Amino acid sequence: MSARRIVVTSGKGGVGKTTTTANLGAALALRGKRVVLVDADIGLRNLDLVLGLEKRIVFDLVEVVEGRCQLRQALIKDKRFGELLSILPAAQTRDKTAVTENQFATVIDELAELCDYVIIDCPAGIEHGFRNAVAGAREAIVVTTPEVSAIRDADRVIGKLNERGLPIRLIVNRIRPDMVRSGDMLSVEDVCEILSAELLGIVPDDEDVIDTTNRGEPIALKADSRLAAIYEKIARRLEGEIVPFTVLGAPTFLSRLLGRKAG
Amino acid sequence: MHPSTELRAGYLEEDPLPAAPPAPQRRGRCIVVTSGKGGVGKTTTTANVGVALAAGGARVVLVDADVGLRNLDIVLGLEARVRHHVLDVLEGQAELDDALVSDKRVSGLKLLAASQTREKDDVDTPAFRGLIDQLRERFDYVLIDCPAGIEKGFQNAIAGADEAIIVCTPEVSAVRDADRVVGLLGERVKVTLIVNRLRPALVRRGKMLSVEDVNAILRLPLLGVIADEPGVIVSTNKGEPIALDVASPTGQAYRKIAGRIVGTETSAPEIPREATFFGKLFGGQR
Repeated sequence: MSARRIVVTSGKGGVGKTTTTANLGAALALRGKRVVLVDADIGLRNLDLVLGLEKRIVFDLVEVVEGRCQLRQALIKDKRFGELLSILPAAQTRDKTAVTENQFATVIDELAELCDYVIIDCPAGIEHGFRNAVAGAREAIVVTTPEVSAIRDADRVIGKLNERGLPIRLIVNRIRPDMVRSGDMLSVEDVCEILSAELLGIVPDDEDVIDTTNRGEPIALKADSRLAAIYEKIARRLEGEIVPFTVLGAPTFLSRLLGRKAG
Repeated sequence: MHPSTELRAGYLEEDPLPAAPPAPQRRGRCIVVTSGKGGVGKTTTTANVGVALAAGGARVVLVDADVGLRNLDIVLGLEARVRHHVLDVLEGQAELDDALVSDKRVSGLKLLAASQTREKDDVDTPAFRGLIDQLRERFDYVLIDCPAGIEKGFQNAIAGADEAIIVCTPEVSAVRDADRVVGLLGERVKVTLIVNRLRPALVRRGKMLSVEDVNAILRLPLLGVIADEPGVIVSTNKGEPIALDVASPTGQAYRKIAGRIVGTETSAPEIPREATFFGKLFGGQR
């Protein structure tokens, strides 16, 4: 038995890699899959915060690599998901060169024996941290926002992933349908055409994400939220189901008046 | 560069007993715009503060230190005019003057682009520092757009700077990363803060950290607060920095930030206000 190993990457920072990793992991765990999320952002870790697990960190990835603890000791179980979701946190006070690509890949191989999905949260950029995060992966999810700079960076990253022969799927994050309609934002079609990658998901910009992220509660856990439904669909697509894409309606006049966005 | 040469150059520069009288022409200030976390608005801040400083009459050069993932050229709308980049200059493939791109709209504003097809490891840090020193002889302000993270690209970007603007959004993860970066910058660098993408309505509803919350952790001199508004995304995609638009509140905020850097603006930074009912109706600021 060996898990799927997926790196979540983007090139540009702040487009939602960590949020995507956490929510996709949560959605898969809610579907009964055993998932380990790995924070590859040594020195600038955040996956622990987004899941609200920061106070429970004892050991980290670097300590595993250096043999200071067992892999299982460093894994933190997210109790909201029973036994299904764990994270392997990054070290905060070290830097990315503390781990080599081979060491990183070895840890991912070991994790792959323990679960169904290993999802790696890649740091921004294309430096050493990126090379580590990609080293252990067999598939890639590229997250981008509909902005020229994010797309340019995604394009550069896709080139690098192609060199390694990793299959790539795309999540277009933080779409604002009203801005697409007014011509102020690129559409999902535009983005997919520029990047010519297979689409895995479309996630609208939702102000609740800021709040849930700050509080360490992934929005995928809010059963009644629009984004939970969207992440569930992404999880199903990842598992091979054919799921139609959500058509994002632009906010109506009334919902805009009330400061809300319609689904 | 040979290590001994590097050491000697450093010694000369910091020699506390200069034999010669101070040079008549003051060296320009070098400010790195950094954050740790990506996507919080470093490039947008660099472009807008640069535009605002130049609009105030300063000679400004913006340096993109994000080798391999450059974007400052796009945000400034100058991507079609870039012919040479930082590494061409460092490696002697181009003269500095040929690599500097003049802004179309604001006189006194130049861009030195990063190389898109190279790696940050290709940049020799002491040589980059030397280039920054050269620029400081010719410009009043050298603003460096730092890449995300704290790897080699970050080390390059901060090497020549003695001031830093930390850009931070009101998010726990951004604050944590910013705090880490402040620690790495150390005592040598004078650090100020811009809180970016504040949504006053969310702060009021308790769904977003306030400027006070952010600065309770970072404790930095506040240079300015910028509201989250769709206008910034639009202007970025169009390559027209919003600081060019003097009528917009965000454009004004950037002008004031520039004034505070220069020392002409003495007012305390304002916290952006919530849009009025009518403003919201007409698609104005949030």
